[in-house]
Amino acid sequence: MSNVLAFVLAGGRVDELLCLTERRPKSALPIFGIYRIIDCVLSNLMHAGIEHVGVLSQYRPSALVRHIGTGEHWDFIGRKRGIRILPPYRGFKASDWYKGTADAVYQNCAYIEEFNPRSVLIASADHVYRMDYRPFVQHHIETDADVTVCFTRTRKRSSRFGYGIIDRTGHLKKYVEKPETPPSTWASMTLYLFKTDVLIDALENNAHETSHEFGRDVLPALMNKHRIRAYRFSGYWAYARTIDSYYATNMDVLHSKVDLSKWQVRTNLVERCAHSERMPASINGDVVNSVISDGCTVNGTVRNSILSPGVIIENGAQVTDSIIYHDAHVGRKTHLKKTICDKDTTIGENCAIGVSGEETPSREYPELLHSGITLIGKKCTIPPGTTIGANTAIYSASEIGMRTIEPGSTLR
Amino acid sequence: MKKEIIAMLLAGGAGSRLNILARHRAKPAIPFGGIYRIIDFTMSNIANSSIDVVGVLTQYKPLSLMEHIDNGKPWDMFGRTRLVEILPPKTGEASSDWYKGTSDAVYQNVAFINDFSPELVLVVSGDHIYHMNYAELIAYHRKKRADATVCLIPVPLRDAHNFGIAETARTGRIRTWIEKPQKPPSNLASMGIYVFTTNVLMKALVTTARTSGVDFAKNVIPQLLKEHRVYGYEFNDYWRDVGTIDAYWNANMDLLARDPEPKIANWRIKTNLHVKGEIGDRPSAYLGRSARVRNSLISRGCVIEGTVSHSVLSPGVRVEKNATVSDSIIFHDAVISSGASVDTVIIDKSVTIETSARLGHGTMKINRRYPQHLSTGITVVGKKARIAAKITVGKNCIIQPEAYVKRNCTSGSTK
Repeated sequence: MSNVLAFVLAGGRVDELLCLTERRPKSALPIFGIYRIIDCVLSNLMHAGIEHVGVLSQYRPSALVRHIGTGEHWDFIGRKRGIRILPPYRGFKASDWYKGTADAVYQNCAYIEEFNPRSVLIASADHVYRMDYRPFVQHHIETDADVTVCFTRTRKRSSRFGYGIIDRTGHLKKYVEKPETPPSTWASMTLYLFKTDVLIDALENNAHETSHEFGRDVLPALMNKHRIRAYRFSGYWAYARTIDSYYATNMDVLHSKVDLSKWQVRTNLVERCAHSERMPASINGDVVNSVISDGCTVNGTVRNSILSPGVIIENGAQVTDSIIYHDAHVGRKTHLKKTICDKDTTIGENCAIGVSGEETPSREYPELLHSGITLIGKKCTIPPGTTIGANTAIYSASEIGMRTIEPGSTLR
Repeated sequence: MKKEIIAMLLAGGAGSRLNILARHRAKPAIPFGGIYRIIDFTMSNIANSSIDVVGVLTQYKPLSLMEHIDNGKPWDMFGRTRLVEILPPKTGEASSDWYKGTSDAVYQNVAFINDFSPELVLVVSGDHIYHMNYAELIAYHRKKRADATVCLIPVPLRDAHNFGIAETARTGRIRTWIEKPQKPPSNLASMGIYVFTTNVLMKALVTTARTSGVDFAKNVIPQLLKEHRVYGYEFNDYWRDVGTIDAYWNANMDLLARDPEPKIANWRIKTNLHVKGEIGDRPSAYLGRSARVRNSLISRGCVIEGTVSHSVLSPGVRVEKNATVSDSIIFHDAVISSGASVDTVIIDKSVTIETSARLGHGTMKINRRYPQHLSTGITVVGKKARIAAKITVGKNCIIQPEAYVKRNCTSGSTK
């Protein structure tokens, strides 16, 4: 795959995930215990043998920069292989933040020219899926398409996606971004292959416009003049645009929808182990239908939950339907339900988190936090005996002064 | 490149008393505690003591060891001034031979030592489970203005005849030194860890070689005692020579004690997380709806649907529904099929226990072929062996690597 250069769009700021993306881009969110979301696309690229990858990041990239490191964990290291983080930069003429996904690639045209590939693959870092890109690339080349857009069939027609109308021969007849009523069930995976010169022309034309997004602007502008083909993907594909979808995607690993042993995802295993080496998980409690990572100590009860490395669940604690990030500590006899605890949180003894009030949506974010999930931000310390109602978001380093936090609260 | 101190790590041991566990790998490369290998303890001790040049002396089946050490990166011994070098036996102009013993191995690599012109040389073995800050040992060596310092650990007097025993003066200076004495003069046993002042070591190695000596404990130390300042450094913490199946099993089980030893987490024991041939990284362990796990260590990639108690599981082990595993050590990617029962067994990598097979069940009879190796009830199953459905394998049994066992094995048998 030396003739394909890949860009990974990892930069966008998304406020929909509240405190979870307070300090990290969505693509850096932990998933399935030890991975970050971006690992899925990086592993897909690695397995396809793509040799050069540019990661476009803008919003708080430090977690990503550290995570990707030299790229060695995905074999993107060597004389002919490489991965580069491409942050916004200032130059002679252009000196600006990325104004959109297309602008981010446009500002890095020099990176494309450096390699002069036949095709450019553009993928989002925010999606959770295992796909063999090789047939996709092959299809693109065999059909001599100018652009090939990847689509997946959606069960629920949501206005969050771009939708395509595909004709019988596989041509993309029409594309609409985030329509009120989707015209088909084929949703764009924001995964594109471009002929290099077509891409560069399209980006140059788009640069004069006021909006710079691939789905909204670049694709529709190309529709009439170019051969745009659709490629249908039928495997598991999920995303983490909202708290609900992020939560559901994680839980899919507990319901046999995601078989990680087949996905062969790679991650940076060294990153969080640098401070403390992780032993195998030490388990001496009731653990049912859960993922338990290295370095965990479980003496309490864990059900339908996902534990990242280094989590400690004390005696008598009950953790249900929850996602607990690295090195969180859950004290004795504390109950956690449908709670996402960020890294290095400490929940004292005898707390009840997310156990009551699931019917009460968040007062500040009723659209985003209403299905009974409770969020505890990074490094928060919850004092012993605290009750926190469901649909509550506690931002990192909040001071918890009261014993009872009503459902639907937001603390900063 | 000049270094104050370098380490020579003796990793050539065949570990024959570990029987089939050491069949395909050197003893230091045997898995321990789920994700580690025995050598990780010494490598991590060296790294945590800020020693950053290590020569690893290999001889017996070094492949898995070399892969594991890789470029030294897991222990941060990677860079322009930090390195691990594998030192296998080699042919040359003058000498061309296998390593004949511990001191001979170092003697054949004096050129490696000279490359760094170190003031001191630390000689350690890769066979032991312990944590030690060698910086304290080195400070002691300097304070005593010693030429050589030997680490000593108190052992029960009744076991002393198995060790090299030192008798020390109140100052710490070693007065007498006897290998495996009939009547031990003290209970201070050598741990096989030495610090030498380099020029003293160099001279001693030459003299020892001239008199056909090949071993530090048997030849070098007794010779140094005559003319040099040799001190004993007493160590009073957890230390295990896991040279027998019993000792190996016990040291693994020590990890499961209420107050676990070795304290791996506190000691910052590092291992090589990247395994050649693994395409993806192993996901975290998954415990299913019918899993029941008590007092056990479960590594990444394990899928547990059955019952596991008081056991240590390496990465990728599968325990299916209604299978039970107790008091056992299971290496990577073994499969315990549904209804099978495994009690007090060490199972090597990629073993398959088929449905309803029973291992470790039967009367207590010592192993007939290897009575010295297996007498306390532990059964050992070799790499890639397969135990057919409904077969019973007794206690103290040895199942050879890659064997396919289709008949019952009574206690004490070897298949």
